[in-house]
Amino acid sequence: MHNHKPKSYPFAAIVGQDSMKLGLILNVINPRLSGILIRGEKGTAKSTAVRALAELLPEIEVVADCPYSCDPDNPQAHCPACHSRHEAGEKLARSKRPMRVVNLPISATEDRVVGTLDIEHAIKHGEKKFEPGVLAEANRGILYVDEVNLLDDHIVDVLLDAAAMGVNTVEREGVSFSHPAQFILVGTMNPEEGELRPQLLDRFGLCVTIGGIGDPAQRVEVIKRRGAFEEDPDAFIAAWETGQAELRKKITAAQRLLPDVKTEDDILYRIADIAIQMGVDGHRADLVMLKTAKALAAWNGSSQVEPAHVQEILELALAHRMRRKPFQEVGADQQKLHQAMHGHAHQHPHSHGHGFAGKK
Amino acid sequence: MTGSGKQRRTVYPFAALIGQEDLQLALLLHAVNPRLGGLLVRGEKGTAKSTAVRGLAELLPTIEAISDCPYHCDPDDLRKACGDCRGRPTGRKPVTAIPVPLVELPVSATEDRVAGSMDFEQAVKTGRKAFLPGLMAEANRGIIYIDEINLLDDHIVDVLLDAAGCGVNVVEREGVSVTHPAEFILVGTMNPEEGDLRPQLLDRFALCVEVTGLTDRQARVEVIKRREAFDSDPGGFAVRWQPELARLQREIAAARELLPVVRIADDVYEYISEVCAAAFAAGHRADIVLAKAAITLAAWRGNSEVSRQDVDDIAPLVLAHRRREPPQESETPQTREEPEPQDDHEPPPDNRSQNPPPEQQRERQDGDRKDDGAAGPAAEVVYAVGKPFAIKRITHVKDRLVRRGSGRRSRTKTDTSVGRYVKSTNHRERNDLAIDATIRAAAPFQRRRQQRGTALVIESGDIREKVREKRIGNFMLFVVDASGSMGARQRMIETKGAILSLLLDAYQKRDRVGMIAFKGDRAEVLLPPTNSVEMAQKCLSELPVGGKTPLAAGLSKAYEVVKQHLKRSPHMRPIVVILSDGRANAAADGGSPLAEAHRAATALREEVDAKYLIIDTEKKGLLSFGLANKLAEALGSECYSIDQLKVDGLADIVRNAID
Repeated sequence: MHNHKPKSYPFAAIVGQDSMKLGLILNVINPRLSGILIRGEKGTAKSTAVRALAELLPEIEVVADCPYSCDPDNPQAHCPACHSRHEAGEKLARSKRPMRVVNLPISATEDRVVGTLDIEHAIKHGEKKFEPGVLAEANRGILYVDEVNLLDDHIVDVLLDAAAMGVNTVEREGVSFSHPAQFILVGTMNPEEGELRPQLLDRFGLCVTIGGIGDPAQRVEVIKRRGAFEEDPDAFIAAWETGQAELRKKITAAQRLLPDVKTEDDILYRIADIAIQMGVDGHRADLVMLKTAKALAAWNGSSQVEPAHVQEILELALAHRMRRKPFQEVGADQQKLHQAMHGHAHQHPHSHGHGFAGKK
Repeated sequence: MTGSGKQRRTVYPFAALIGQEDLQLALLLHAVNPRLGGLLVRGEKGTAKSTAVRGLAELLPTIEAISDCPYHCDPDDLRKACGDCRGRPTGRKPVTAIPVPLVELPVSATEDRVAGSMDFEQAVKTGRKAFLPGLMAEANRGIIYIDEINLLDDHIVDVLLDAAGCGVNVVEREGVSVTHPAEFILVGTMNPEEGDLRPQLLDRFALCVEVTGLTDRQARVEVIKRREAFDSDPGGFAVRWQPELARLQREIAAARELLPVVRIADDVYEYISEVCAAAFAAGHRADIVLAKAAITLAAWRGNSEVSRQDVDDIAPLVLAHRRREPPQESETPQTREEPEPQDDHEPPPDNRSQNPPPEQQRERQDGDRKDDGAAGPAAEVVYAVGKPFAIKRITHVKDRLVRRGSGRRSRTKTDTSVGRYVKSTNHRERNDLAIDATIRAAAPFQRRRQQRGTALVIESGDIREKVREKRIGNFMLFVVDASGSMGARQRMIETKGAILSLLLDAYQKRDRVGMIAFKGDRAEVLLPPTNSVEMAQKCLSELPVGGKTPLAAGLSKAYEVVKQHLKRSPHMRPIVVILSDGRANAAADGGSPLAEAHRAATALREEVDAKYLIIDTEKKGLLSFGLANKLAEALGSECYSIDQLKVDGLADIVRNAID
């Protein structure tokens, strides 16, 4: 079925970069984590990982003919059209499809992103028709922005506005319209090309900085697997299908478990203490820490958030939030973070990724 | 037609907010007295600013409105109603109760949607000219909320504040001429790091609160708990807080009833003006707003008489954005430099004396001849970066070229569909229809054209597009004199402070930056053009000083860098900022260093399309050589001292011009 699409490298076959993989998976488990920013040099499998994620995404139920992929079971979040159909008692036709990864090219114009007036239609019939944009397409999926730091500022503002509210509101050129736009925002960037403004950084739930792999054995593994994939993609993908299937199963199980994950008060105090100690702006960090820890607990099959879970997600949730002034480099406070991590540590902090059972 | 549907959602209950007392109070006072005059929220990200505003709308009692009026006019107060409602006989005014409108202005909103515009559908279908009300119409008698108001385009902020000030929206654009009531509570949030609002706009907001995150762990945990509870079951959470909301609503209603009878004693009036005078607030708006706010606070507290305590309690919110420095400077313009001599070895500069003291003359000659030869090429020193200050607006002049890009510095025509609509064109490039111009273009041919069910027949040839103007960023290239002479008398510290200030400004205006330093026998590109202002800052703090002054080399390097930049990104116009005192004492060709530098400057002016700006780093208070001015002449540029670069310094420049 994917005849025309280039084959994507299996997620399970990506060597190392455990915190990036974990961050992506946690976002799939709880799409309300508000996305992830992946910072790193060229050639560190950033884009590969995001594209590979598409193959792991679970199926969702959508209203069959809705351009915004409304959820038939959640009338609260319906687009205006589905809403009025639902109110009128119509039974909305359903269909099932996998979650999408929608790519936003950095050259995208604002009209393309938020949607625009169909000008031909307007001229011929004297009727305004809203033509949905990228944000509509990305509803209930993943919106992937490569080189997000090079994106036009104005577009970034628009994106983050929509991401924060889960709604795309269009008030331009005689068009007044809004539709659901709940998406997982995944951005990649190379910090050498310039930083994102702190305001924007804060809107990404998680952030991970990745480098090349140091371990020679692992480096060799990277070359070997890549070679095998390029030589015969189908065979390579087939060989990794078991690993992929396991991951998919695990993600689905975690999604099911998530609503039942409980948090004791001492975990909340711990989170609040860390936030105060790190001097983060506002309260978003606290909420992200809690949500991420819960998602991790679910991913590990635990129905209770343990201190170790909080420990493990600290860096993901805080690395980009300790920056207070526009000119401070991201991660300038890394030491403080490590102190906070060790200060509360009951176990070694560098234990990410022990959950990757699918890895061979 | 897809309709103008809007999404609704369950909002976090206002009563369940924790810890942001100032913000809550300011919003509640607006609930009691919607005519208070708006609120600006400044501060950190993630501090429930938006949540609080949305919560407020839920909290307000429903209003009676004429049901088929786009401005939901008040049937009981026809003085403020729109023309249509006033003209209708009383019997034909169906009334409904509606929730208080809350309009959230997205950052991408365009002027026509904010103010209203010609109704295109109506025009084409029925051939009638009709007004399509905009967001200000929708917000009449309600709230407009703008997140990050400092990022909104200036022209849209102007339109909004204009209407907010007089309660009426006057539309005279795109072929429509309409006036309609637009009384709304304007609530804006901003993060000052991203650039401030202009002072005259700040003053339009009655109250201003600063919000920060809570530092109390108990409170923080409560925040997390409530938010989690809300996220997992918004409906249930809202129901649980219903009694608390109802209590607040009753209190608001009671305060509203009390409001008209609250009075202020004369001595409290006097106290109010004392408080405002002590804060050096400009004009009388502060006094008026403080009185209004104190009355509202008294009503909220259930008192029918304003006490001094009420004034004291609300004054910080009224004065936060109006407080100014004591205005001594205006009386003795020059004293600002005097009280803090930066260098102990210097006698305080005497501005009134025409003849510089002998030491200063000697120093001048030193600089002229040997350029502080003591600091040889080997002796490189890195100076600290001086304190940054707010700088005045530096922009490129507008030309006829069309550019794309974002940013906030220079005005330009743009081929993107953001920006202010200035005129129309029949070039079709984008899908950016200029409705008024299109209709005008089609009008003469209507009789001859085939009717096809619409009143107006428009053909492809009639279509006009909008020509827009917006601000975009520039490429700021800093050319810095890093020779040994810059080490003398804190000059480098001040110069670095000036560059840092320009960099902060460049960050807010979204410029690209680059840096060239010249010292010893050559110039070096320390920072190739980059968007990363933090890299520029790093580069600045590490910039060493030492050696001779090869000004010509610095200018030639600037020539190369700017030429290259223009080839790569022709849309970003360069502004070359040269930080130098105009002196030169090293030449590549062995000739006169100064003559070589001026030749390089002339070449720059003639061959490179850039704006040049010279920041004269010569210490003020001395009889100046005016070398920087001569260089400025050769470049055809302006020349400022560091002090003149400051926003406050502007008044001085004007004064000089008048004298």
